[in-house]
Amino acid sequence: MMEESTTPVPGKPMADLPSSGHMKPTVHNEAYFDEPERRRPPITVVGPVAWVRANLFGSTLDTMLTVVGSAFLIFTVLTLLQWSVGAANWYAIIFNMRLFLVGRVETFLDLRLSLLALYIALVVGVNLAAWSIVRARVWQMWLAGLVSLFVVPWLIEASIALPPTYLGAGQREIASGSVTTRPLERVAFIAGEGEELVFTLAEFASEEELARLSSFTDVVTNTLRNAARNRLMEQEHIATIEERLAGKRLTEKQRAELEAEQAESELPPPIREAHQVSVAPVSVSVRTGWNDEELASAIIGAGDELRFTLPRDGWYVLEKHIPANDESIGLLAVTGVYPIFDRSFIRDGERVNQYVRATDRLLIEGGRPREADGSDMLMLGIIDHQYKGLRGIGNFLRVMVAPFLQQINLSLTAFSAFIALGYFGAVWLKQREAHFLMAVRRGAIWLWLALIPLAFILIIGIGDGGPVQASDSQLWGGLLLTLLLTAVGIVVAFPIGIAMALGRRSSLPAIRIASTLYIELVRGVPLITLLFMSTLMVPFVVPSLGGPDSAPYRIMIALILFSAAYLAEIVRGGLQSLPPGQEEAGKAVGLPAWRITLHITLPQALRAVIPALVGQFISLFKDTSLVAIVGLIDLTGVATGIAGQTEFQALRRETYFYIFIIYFIFSFVMSLVSRRIEASGAGAARRE
Amino acid sequence: MVEGIGAKTNSDVEATLREDTEPIIICREVNKWFGDFHVLRDVSVEVAPREVVVVIGPSGSGKSTFIRCINRLEEHQEGRIIVDGMELGHDIRNISAIRQEIGMVFQQFNLFPHLTALQNITLAPSIVRHRPRAEANEIAMQLLERVGIPEQANKYPGQLSGGQQQRVAIARALAMEPKIMLFDEPTSALDPEMIKEVLDVMKELARSGMTMLVVTHEMGFAREVADRVLFFDHGRIVEQGTPEYFFEQAQHPRTKLFLSQIL
Repeated sequence: MMEESTTPVPGKPMADLPSSGHMKPTVHNEAYFDEPERRRPPITVVGPVAWVRANLFGSTLDTMLTVVGSAFLIFTVLTLLQWSVGAANWYAIIFNMRLFLVGRVETFLDLRLSLLALYIALVVGVNLAAWSIVRARVWQMWLAGLVSLFVVPWLIEASIALPPTYLGAGQREIASGSVTTRPLERVAFIAGEGEELVFTLAEFASEEELARLSSFTDVVTNTLRNAARNRLMEQEHIATIEERLAGKRLTEKQRAELEAEQAESELPPPIREAHQVSVAPVSVSVRTGWNDEELASAIIGAGDELRFTLPRDGWYVLEKHIPANDESIGLLAVTGVYPIFDRSFIRDGERVNQYVRATDRLLIEGGRPREADGSDMLMLGIIDHQYKGLRGIGNFLRVMVAPFLQQINLSLTAFSAFIALGYFGAVWLKQREAHFLMAVRRGAIWLWLALIPLAFILIIGIGDGGPVQASDSQLWGGLLLTLLLTAVGIVVAFPIGIAMALGRRSSLPAIRIASTLYIELVRGVPLITLLFMSTLMVPFVVPSLGGPDSAPYRIMIALILFSAAYLAEIVRGGLQSLPPGQEEAGKAVGLPAWRITLHITLPQALRAVIPALVGQFISLFKDTSLVAIVGLIDLTGVATGIAGQTEFQALRRETYFYIFIIYFIFSFVMSLVSRRIEASGAGAARRE
Repeated sequence: MVEGIGAKTNSDVEATLREDTEPIIICREVNKWFGDFHVLRDVSVEVAPREVVVVIGPSGSGKSTFIRCINRLEEHQEGRIIVDGMELGHDIRNISAIRQEIGMVFQQFNLFPHLTALQNITLAPSIVRHRPRAEANEIAMQLLERVGIPEQANKYPGQLSGGQQQRVAIARALAMEPKIMLFDEPTSALDPEMIKEVLDVMKELARSGMTMLVVTHEMGFAREVADRVLFFDHGRIVEQGTPEYFFEQAQHPRTKLFLSQIL
């Protein structure tokens, strides 16, 4: 009946009612009970410029914060980016991937751990389907990401050639700081069948070119390159002083200081000339590592090139020296000879040496060639051959990114495939009939519960021999150990925490005091103290847990005790937030006390504290990094261990940066899940 | 006699007859303190089966505490309370069993917010009485029909209006088939528009023969439904009588003052 937007108010005469005639005081009409026509709210903010003005430059303080904040952010990000592309050596990660993931567990665990990971992926997929719908766009983006994991490294390798390795030859000693080095006569290297070696003499048109040299280099090349760089920087410094002295507005004092500085500065002689870099021809010979047979040899002068193909996978020896000129250093640019990592581990009771080529992880087992005196022949290791901040983006992609992606693409694809399998399987099930949804949800929870015994069997194993041989708990490490400690800390501590929370609210004094005492005791000491106490005291109480292979279990006990106390306080907070009427209503319908707790107060209390609970889980996940101090080799322990090896000593930044990212990814996913749970029916919607 | 939930079955007739001859609630010289504050002073009341007793009085007079003592949500410190032949005391073991005989409706509804209306009603019967789920659901639906909101069965309390919530709360209390119903200011937290729908349910309940103790400020309800009105002040029963007596011939000056202020 109402065309206008005005609403008739009962009891208040409406003068402008159309054709009402008699001016009724109230309007009794069916249409009156209809909801009035709805209008959309007005749009107040228009366009990105307006948004920026309103949100970033709203007031003077706002503007200042925006400027300072963004300057800081841009500076940090740029520095970090420049470092990770130009200078960082990510080989520390690429080569220790297994160590980061599972520590030094026996190789027979690999298959079992992969199965476990795939099972978890399946469960994650089913749960995604059971509790929410993933938008098709997310799947498309995910798929695109996976495909690019394969396409990108392939494109990189097809379009960017591996950079050459620079190797010095000659008799001269070169000083670098307090250390002097001399080019190696012989270097061992590994190569594959059919690979082509190319030798040329590296020539440098200028000092700048030598200083910009960026690739795999040996110690001698490194020293020369650094010396050239230092000289160029000194040159620039001197030029700056001269420029400032030529300027006018200088006080006497400033002038005196500058002149003193000028007097102190001394430009070293040009490096190329001083060391006669790549002046004389270099004699090169390549021999097989297995029977010392010469494959090729040549004297390489300017413009010469030696090129030949290798017969099989294995060790080779490169001999290089300068026959004619004792004062010259020759720098060879070599394709096909790349740095190697070595690692050793116990396999079936025997020590195995593995050698891995940096660029493509070509792997050779067995000892390297020996010198005449019987010692192992030196090889090109990564520590002496770092990039020094001069790498280009192409080089970075080819040498660092492509190998890393190739390392993770298969496992990520398998993991994703199982998530998709679980997801679409469950979606198919729940769409068949309406009541299947509840069945799928129950199934999703059961799958999580089944994970506990499954993980138990697959990780720990049963007995010696047999299909699930027991693993050595001392060797658990890396992300595996971190996740294991976190999972145990959550799953076992959760019921204990609930019991303690209820105990602290109990009307029985003995239980209440015991719970309070426990909670306050544990919360009153730092976790690290608990870890030490557990390491040292548990063997007193439970002698069978005294051995070195029980170390993870002792630590688990400490983490369980620790997290139970905190969980108890969180749950107690949730219980206290409930109005007393809930419990009274439960009593009034005649429910026994424990039934009230189980069906009424506890479910509500837990829902209310989901954010705090997940916060505690994340906190525990991060706190497990402390176990490295009591000798467990978790993710942090692995990083510390790697940074302690001579090979990777200089790569601590990269190592710790990597675990920083891993910790963050896991914490962030947990926090995302918590936000989804909060937003879903389990949380807010039911108590609106 | 009304067929259905809350109505007494044939096998109970004999017991009902016997019960009719003696009170179902007996309070003798009940005293209670909150700390030093004397809440109930020598309260002595007897309630006969099927009687509707309305308790009125100024706030803080102890009327809510009094009915909360009857299902032992509060413990009295002196005197005796005997409900359905069982005495409430410190040594009581089966308090849950006694509470199952006494339904209670609260001012703040106190529905369980994590359960649907239907689940709120079926929770106690299926746990305590071990009712199969289908049967419990069927009975719950009958109760929801009785209180007039069967269409809200699968909604959560947060999605219901105050009046609807209170009616679910009444249905929840009835689901245990109690002999006595206690109402603690059931309409005080409701919008005026919703009070009537709750009172209508209570009137229907009274007509069906339920023993009821109602704390309320709804004088109209008291006048229409009550068999007896108790007036509380400072923890004592100052005056009691039929509604006709109470509203027209009250003797005590405190009662007169109270009535003059609210009528």
